[in-house]
Amino acid sequence: MQKKQVAEIKNLIKSYGSRDFETKVLKGIDLSIFQDDFIAVMGPSGSGKTTLLNILSTIDKPTQGIVTLDGKDITRISNKELSKLRRDKIGFVFQDYNLLDTMTLEDNIVLPLSLNGGLSKEIVQKARGLAEMFGIVEHLKKYPYQLSGGQKQRGAVCRALITNPEIIFADEPTGALDSKASKDLMRCLKGVNESGRATILMVTHDPLCASYAKDVYLLSDGSMKCKISQGSDRKEFYNRIIEVQSAMGGDFL
Amino acid sequence: MKMIMLAFRNFKSSVRIYMALIISLAFTIAVYFNFQNMIYSNMFASLGDHNKEFTDMIIQTVSVVLICFSFFFIWYSTNIFLTKQKREFGIYIFMGLTNQNIAKLYIVETISICIVSLVLGILSGMAVMWLFQMIVLAISDIAIDVTFQFRFEPVIITVIVFMCMYLFFVGKGYWNILRSSVLNMISAVRQNEYVKQKRLVLVGKSVLGIGVLGIGYYLAVKGSGMEVMGNILAATILVIVGVYLLFGGLLPFVFQALAQNKAFLYQKERCLWVNQVVFRMKKNYRTYAMVCVLVLCSVTALATGLAMKNRYDNMIHFEHTYTFQFLTNQTDVGAQAEQLLKKVDAIACQSSIPVLMLEENISVLAYSNVKELAKQTGMEFSLREPTENEVIEIQNMILVSFYTQQNYGKVTIYGKEYQKIDETMVPYLGNLQRIMNFYIVSDTEYQRLCTISQEIFTYNYKLEHAECFEAAREALSVIPTGSGEEGNFTARVAKDPNDKNDEWIKIFFPLCFFMFLVFIFASVSVMFMKLSNDAFEERERYLVMRKLGFAEKTLEKSISKELGTAYILPFIVMVISAYFSVHALERVMHENFFTIYWISITVVLAFFFVFYRLSVSVYSKNIDIDKY
Repeated sequence: MQKKQVAEIKNLIKSYGSRDFETKVLKGIDLSIFQDDFIAVMGPSGSGKTTLLNILSTIDKPTQGIVTLDGKDITRISNKELSKLRRDKIGFVFQDYNLLDTMTLEDNIVLPLSLNGGLSKEIVQKARGLAEMFGIVEHLKKYPYQLSGGQKQRGAVCRALITNPEIIFADEPTGALDSKASKDLMRCLKGVNESGRATILMVTHDPLCASYAKDVYLLSDGSMKCKISQGSDRKEFYNRIIEVQSAMGGDFL
Repeated sequence: MKMIMLAFRNFKSSVRIYMALIISLAFTIAVYFNFQNMIYSNMFASLGDHNKEFTDMIIQTVSVVLICFSFFFIWYSTNIFLTKQKREFGIYIFMGLTNQNIAKLYIVETISICIVSLVLGILSGMAVMWLFQMIVLAISDIAIDVTFQFRFEPVIITVIVFMCMYLFFVGKGYWNILRSSVLNMISAVRQNEYVKQKRLVLVGKSVLGIGVLGIGYYLAVKGSGMEVMGNILAATILVIVGVYLLFGGLLPFVFQALAQNKAFLYQKERCLWVNQVVFRMKKNYRTYAMVCVLVLCSVTALATGLAMKNRYDNMIHFEHTYTFQFLTNQTDVGAQAEQLLKKVDAIACQSSIPVLMLEENISVLAYSNVKELAKQTGMEFSLREPTENEVIEIQNMILVSFYTQQNYGKVTIYGKEYQKIDETMVPYLGNLQRIMNFYIVSDTEYQRLCTISQEIFTYNYKLEHAECFEAAREALSVIPTGSGEEGNFTARVAKDPNDKNDEWIKIFFPLCFFMFLVFIFASVSVMFMKLSNDAFEERERYLVMRKLGFAEKTLEKSISKELGTAYILPFIVMVISAYFSVHALERVMHENFFTIYWISITVVLAFFFVFYRLSVSVYSKNIDIDKY
């Protein structure tokens, strides 16, 4: 059965600066994301990874091209609709967690749902279920400053998942974590993806982190250079990513 | 970059943040300058020495209150300025600057704020000098010609007073920086931001706060004798302490409980603003308490002004009930006086009532006679008839009385003990009430007392035109006054309608009004400044929320509620406290100030509402809410 298309990018171009000093950051990107995909976008610094993610997550606007999310062209819809789309259809995971330090982890997780005015009992249950899945139940009553980076990021993933979004955009989710916390987080993300709970597009410079994805796209100089798909073994997938990365050269950090 | 340039650049960037503070301080300086100017320009000289002496004394007293207030205001503002700057100073230390260099930087910046406020205050004070005097005269209803005079003394005094206060606190800050460690500087801003506080401590603080406030309220309204001033002073201190404890204990306790009640919390924007209030409570409660105390001062100042005006009008009305009064045992004096007066001017109002003078300075009146007099003159009468052993006291009206205890005890008149059941200040006998103590007894008791003492008469007249007073007095001089050989006596009391001896009381109202403005501007500017500063710290947080897709409208609602809470909490505590402070005023002035209370509250509410809207708009602008 054909899977549902969640997002589609056609000939995406993004440039900055005035006409005389224009810099093209993205030079005609095409990408289709289907339900239950787990895509990692890798590339050297300045390759346009974050710009691509910002456009997809509706934070930035493309110069040219079509970006559809949940069947809607995000370049043509109003700010109000964009806001609704961000709230209901997209989940975000940022490198620096972006948890609100004014509230407990539990309140942070349920915030998107409580703003929509759901039933508090159901909201609490849902948050608890996600927290159990990510192993942070005992930390729910704590404030972000009382948590480790890994715990915060797992909390941030729970927050992204609580609205049952169509897609999760993760910007360097392991960027601020140590290797153990990174592995734990990636295992969790892989788990939710495999259980059919989330479609994920992740931007990363870390090959180990990318190896948890199903497909890895390598972006260089504003264009998609190649796509590597996971085989049966993650280790082997990791080695292939390293090989391609070395072949492409450039600063991937 | 030279140090002075760096300091100047810092000052330029902080001017925007501290604009509300500078304007508020400049306003206080302008008011102080104008108060001093009123004294030095001899503005009230034409009212006569008596009035000038009193008005100058009152203005000087109010100026002292203003200085005390400014002292705390400058203390508070230099303190938050220092805390805010410390983090930046921490970075300078990493750049190789010594504590001495940084302290000098701080001095230049703070003194710049002081100089800007002083220059702004004095210049605007001078610019509105004439207008200020006109407003004072218009509000006070004092009729004198204003001559525009510029004197240097008020400028010099204002500069010296405010410079001294500022330099004192700048010196304190300088010393503080010299002793600060790098770590202390870097963490200065976050020092107060503890998220949660222990429940037991909060409960203790709440109970103590409510208790202290309760005692303060009780002392404010407690009826007492001469110790009333001590009581009011104690009440003021207790209310201030109580307000601080309440904001430091009860409010965090309530909001922490609300944040824990998920059924309440997970409703729309509550999760955002309730948590935000809890998070900032430790840092904010002092500001809330300070704003509350300031607004309480402003309401009390306005209420005092209004009450004084009200009381003055009543006093004047009381004193001028009759122009001439006769107390005599001659029955023909009334007719004779009436005839003489009518030749000079029309009689606006007249009355007559028999009196029994039982002891020196104690007289009694029959209930029905007083009722009849009230009917004749159109005065209010709602007293019930006393029984044979009861009396009603007719009192004199004075500006303030520190004897606030209502004394409904026993009164001994001519050897008999009566129960006092009521008292009234209606001027049935006009100025005679100032000279003698009058009691109303029942008609039957009056008849009984008539057998003991001889009845004498009072004849009271009010002239239609004030300008005929001298001619009338001249005409009445044919009626002999004093004691005659055959036991006859006649006493005359005259009140010149043109008498302006009490004009000085009128100055209270405009002064209190300006004090009200100073306090209210200070309170809203403290709140406004705090919220505007918060917005800069919240910017990142709101940016995250916008990234997460929270609608602009949702965030705006959350901001409105959070800022609304910041304004409403001090307002509620103030409304309750002001009830007691106005009630204390009622007690010393023996009047009902219910309307004055509500007028003052409404005026403050209007101020708060305007600044609340302004704060919401500036806050939204500062956090750049529509960035995405």
